[in-house]
Amino acid sequence: MSEQLLAQLINGLLIGCMYSLIAVGLTMIWGVMNIVNFAHADFLMIGMFTSFWLYTLYGVDPLLSIPVCGVLLFLLGWIIYKFVVSKVMTGPALAQVVVTFGVSIFIANAAVFLWSPDFRMIEKPLLQGSWIMGPVRLSIPKAVASIGSIAITLALFLFLRKTKTGKAILAVEMNRSSALLMGINTERVNALSFAIGSSLVGIAGAFLSMYYYIYPQVGGTFGLLSFCIVALGGFGSIEGAFIAGILIGIVQTLGGYYFDPAYKYAIVFALYLVTVWIRPQGLMGW
Amino acid sequence: MHGKRSRNLSFALALLLSLSLTSAGVAADQEIKIGAAYPLSGAIASTGLDCLHGAELAVDIINGKYPDLNLPLAKSEGLPNLGGAKLKLVVADTKGEPRNGQAEAERLVTQEKVVAMIGAYQSSVTKTASQATERLKIPYVCSDSSSPTLTERGLKYFFRVSPHDAIFARDQLQFLKDLEKAKGQKITTIAALYENTEFGSNVGKQILKLAPEFGYKVVADISYAANATDVTSEVGRLINAKPDVLMHASYITDAILFTKTYKEMGFNPKGIMTFAGYIEPGYLPAVKGDGNYMVVRSTFALDLAKNKPLVAKVNALFKKKYGIDMSENAARSFTAPFVLADAINRAKTTEAEAVVKALLATNIPGDQVIYPWKGIQFDPQSHQNIHARGILVQIQNQNYVTVWPFESAAADVIWPFPAWKTRK
Amino acid sequence: MKKPTVLQAVFYAALLAALLAFPLVVKGTFPTHVMIMVFLFAMMGVAWNILGGYAAMFSFGQAAFFGIGAYTSTILLMNYNVNPWIGLVAGGVLAALMGAAIGIPCSNLRGHYFAIASIAFAEIVRIHFNNWKFVAAAEGLSLPLLPDSLKNFMFHSSKAPYYYIILVFLLLSVLICWYISTNRMGFYLRAIKESHELAKGMGISFVRYRLYAIMISAFLTAMAGTFYAQYILYIDPESVLILPISVQVVLVAMLGGAGTIIGPVIGAAILLPLSEITRVWLGYKGTGVDMMIYGALIMVISAYQPQGVWGYLTSIRRRAK
Repeated sequence: MSEQLLAQLINGLLIGCMYSLIAVGLTMIWGVMNIVNFAHADFLMIGMFTSFWLYTLYGVDPLLSIPVCGVLLFLLGWIIYKFVVSKVMTGPALAQVVVTFGVSIFIANAAVFLWSPDFRMIEKPLLQGSWIMGPVRLSIPKAVASIGSIAITLALFLFLRKTKTGKAILAVEMNRSSALLMGINTERVNALSFAIGSSLVGIAGAFLSMYYYIYPQVGGTFGLLSFCIVALGGFGSIEGAFIAGILIGIVQTLGGYYFDPAYKYAIVFALYLVTVWIRPQGLMGW
Repeated sequence: MHGKRSRNLSFALALLLSLSLTSAGVAADQEIKIGAAYPLSGAIASTGLDCLHGAELAVDIINGKYPDLNLPLAKSEGLPNLGGAKLKLVVADTKGEPRNGQAEAERLVTQEKVVAMIGAYQSSVTKTASQATERLKIPYVCSDSSSPTLTERGLKYFFRVSPHDAIFARDQLQFLKDLEKAKGQKITTIAALYENTEFGSNVGKQILKLAPEFGYKVVADISYAANATDVTSEVGRLINAKPDVLMHASYITDAILFTKTYKEMGFNPKGIMTFAGYIEPGYLPAVKGDGNYMVVRSTFALDLAKNKPLVAKVNALFKKKYGIDMSENAARSFTAPFVLADAINRAKTTEAEAVVKALLATNIPGDQVIYPWKGIQFDPQSHQNIHARGILVQIQNQNYVTVWPFESAAADVIWPFPAWKTRK
Repeated sequence: MKKPTVLQAVFYAALLAALLAFPLVVKGTFPTHVMIMVFLFAMMGVAWNILGGYAAMFSFGQAAFFGIGAYTSTILLMNYNVNPWIGLVAGGVLAALMGAAIGIPCSNLRGHYFAIASIAFAEIVRIHFNNWKFVAAAEGLSLPLLPDSLKNFMFHSSKAPYYYIILVFLLLSVLICWYISTNRMGFYLRAIKESHELAKGMGISFVRYRLYAIMISAFLTAMAGTFYAQYILYIDPESVLILPISVQVVLVAMLGGAGTIIGPVIGAAILLPLSEITRVWLGYKGTGVDMMIYGALIMVISAYQPQGVWGYLTSIRRRAK
């Protein structure tokens, strides 16, 4: 019994780290621009497909695709910001939501059009199998993805606090109008944060592609959960999203194990509702 | 000269015949329109397309001349009793949503003037679509939806050719009994694992109901959300329950995820019996060798050709047209057009009441279907094909191989499954 | 409230006459079906607008109220033989109470926190219904077929009665929305939307008016749910409780113009025929092109006309003056 508990805890932690990595990019966009990017899950899908095609066409292992996915999604994010999202930055709050819905529907179906709705999987990634340590089996790709997630979150954290550009982004996040007065090019900061947020989810896609199936609608549940994670952590809070991601991973796994698998997402959503009832700004928000 | 004249004569006769038939409800252009609704966009578009291909090939065979195919109406062009009238599929996309099932059925009947309907795939969509055709008094022949409830509604215009989930569940348990007897295997406990939409929960209900009748103890009853991103907690529960056999009703995404998780967590029951998701065309390409040994319920497998040469011929035509082998979904949808065409041909009209009467009198012999059935005959009350039954296939070396009923088997079933760590 | 000009009055009268004549003039059931869907979503868009447009509570969980309406009347009809019209009211009341129950803990939430809370709430409702044996869980409920009559709220031979009923529902919702916007409540809601602190300073009971808005919106949305059940005659969690329904409602309101009375109606009149037509024309090929066009249009309209179509039309009119 306790062996299973340990196995479940570890698995919850691993899936939680993946959630964190997906959510960190979202919270960044959300914090800086106050925009809910509903196309976030579709960016994840594009990251996964990029990794898949690099593997299938050129034999590039997903581990090596990570930087490629990062760069490609950075560019995609920049383009979508410039040509679509920036047009609604001054509009009413919800126009930004609707525009990203449009982007989401478009990208998901463009993927159907280009690559068909079929399911794919990367056949033999470099990282596969499990480490068996006594009663516990640790999936190698999941473990590596978790380490990657922690490293990237840390890097982002340092980037925002130590570099000039990072500080500019933080300044805009704190107070847009004062940042403008201080001479920060907020438009550029917007584009940059949108691109960095997209890039992070692209990297998450490359990690996920090592062990998860790939198809145009793959982002659905990940997307829904990442909204919940971001709000639970507090909008714009990188460390909040990280902690909330792991928390939700563990709650989902243990809830499914001890209570009822059919209700495991209901438990996650209930956790969110209870948390914001007590703390309306989320765990780490202000 | 002689040949030409007789051709002219036959042309005149055909014209005469067609003119006289126009009044009997066939359009003058000799086209009989059949509505075909499938989920062609959204998450399961690939499945919908697969089904559609099966139906399209059937219509090709009915309309063309295939002297060497022993299928209803294959040898003649079109429907001979209606002056060689051809079938035409009018295709509609439901997006897999019940409200579109209703809307599309109504549009196809009232606007496109289809005289009968096939398809829909998802049982919930078939439910609303067939309710609409019932109100409009249009025959509906379904060969791809498996919810038992569809033929429990007492509809007058709705017929189902293919087996439903209650039949499939009983087949699987019967297989276990046969296995115990034939191979001296000992099986006492079963775990039921099913996704919690309409399909899975129906199968789960049947397993829970039937297992005690067969003398098996259900040690785990787990329903889960098909859109789960991670299923370690479900598999953890299974490992704790230690069943001899797992019975798993799933769609494709969860089938892939569970297979990976069984391996990762080392879940090793004696055997895993599965439904639906494990036989979707996308499953094996995604999991490759990890799918080996899974036993799946099916209506069709390519190796049925061993005992049925017809299967190989049909598959060759399918492969020529679409470039891939015929899948189970395509094979299921393949039969509905034949049943309809056969009934319309015997009714000599497309008028609904006459077609329903002809459908009730349907008696297609077993050698004219591509499944190992005794044939097609509808129950006068439920309108379910009384000969419909499932087969079981096992994935061996990444191929679906028929293993049950033992008399149609192409290979011996491998049982118990080798443990994960002993596999290469 | 300024009085409409003669020209406007004539225009609205003509529009209403055209709508009334529609099912009599147009042949075939499909156009009528599309119009019914337009009215249904317009009604839900108007109901959403009371929350999102006026009170700035961006709900992405309207499907929960829609589903509660559909399920309540259907369960009452099937298990207790209660007339669906009574079921309609009961569903509305229950949805309003649920709205209040969720609204009280969420009343402090701002903007996106409220939006996510509404998604979480609706998902919990969906998951629960999907596993709840009393409502037949995922299997769904097929309504018993009763003879055609207004009393039974069921018509098999023609779609026209459904068309008129949902048109009346829509007009009712528009009237309620108009009444709210011209009354004290609308003023308060707008004050709250502009500034929470200011509203508090004015002594406006923040929680109370937000609750009223949620309850009215939930009631109207549940009415739409009962209508859906009586119209399609089959409901299951996958068709009445899922997130895409909530999203569609938001899109309808936003594209038409949030915070205006007539905006959601225009939004529905554009969006639903668009999705139906692209599906019928292009969907059967299974290539996703229909949804690509749909997504691209949403993108273009909202990026280049963020005030919504109605906002665009009024700005043209203002410029013309």
